[in-house]
Amino acid sequence: MSDFGFHLAFWSLAAMTLGGASMIIISRNLIHAVIWLVMSMLGIAGLYLTLSADFIAVVQVLIYVGAISVLMLFAIMLTPRAERDNSQNIKTGGPAALVVLLVMISTLWVAIDTDWGAVREAALTDQARLIGESLIKHYILPFEIGAVLLTAALVGAIALARQDDEDAAVHAASLQAELDGEGSVDPVNVVDPPIASEASDTEAAS
Amino acid sequence: MIIGLEHYLVLGALLFCIGFFIALSKKNAVGVLIGVELMLNAVNLTLIAFSRFGATEVALSTQVFVVFIIAVAAAEVAVGLALALVVYRNRQTISVDRTTLLKG
Repeated sequence: MSDFGFHLAFWSLAAMTLGGASMIIISRNLIHAVIWLVMSMLGIAGLYLTLSADFIAVVQVLIYVGAISVLMLFAIMLTPRAERDNSQNIKTGGPAALVVLLVMISTLWVAIDTDWGAVREAALTDQARLIGESLIKHYILPFEIGAVLLTAALVGAIALARQDDEDAAVHAASLQAELDGEGSVDPVNVVDPPIASEASDTEAAS
Repeated sequence: MIIGLEHYLVLGALLFCIGFFIALSKKNAVGVLIGVELMLNAVNLTLIAFSRFGATEVALSTQVFVVFIIAVAAAEVAVGLALALVVYRNRQTISVDRTTLLKG
């Protein structure tokens, strides 16, 4: 690995990560904040690659850049525009900044001052296979608990976010009234024309 | 200068502090969640740095640990955003200092 290229990659990815994270603080629109978060996450994925953790980098891109940011954008778009304001900060910003400053000083001091011992030169190879094997050998119980946790979280999120039956009935009634007022579209009788669906099938196949 | 463990640790610490500040100072509940995500990512970055530069025995287990952290973070975001939606539906706001239902 060429030394100059490694330096360039590290410093540009570090700037991308910290810059994206800092822009979240000052961006006024919450959607822009999520876009900056995506940039920061991509920088972290690149940093994983410089640490030769290729599997974790791919997982980072798939889950954080792909799934979590889209989930956040959906949640923001399901609340109206007035709630997208990210510029407001709480009134106790001064004490918060003080606490953060103390944490920063102590963690930086520990990171720099500690003697971390000998640095290993060789990176782990064949990581995806090793992680998969240890997940179903050593860590089978946490793996199963994680599966149950994810299922419970998904079911819980759906149960929380779905509307009550009364709300849904009111919403459907208002929607129906709107459609009746227009008098042109009847949602029950709208059927896809068979020719169009066949055409889309052949398009998908090709 | 060789880029070593300390560089990644300092980067992780700075990222953690930025996320911590966002989580403490933002009014919007989704903004707070973004801060928490940044903190989790900073910890992951630190763990992966130890996996690369630390002892051989911990190289694999830290990576497995990071996989579990990512899974739990995904569950946390799903439930947190659903909670934000429910709070918005009931209180017409997701500002964390106006949801004072539990205030005595």
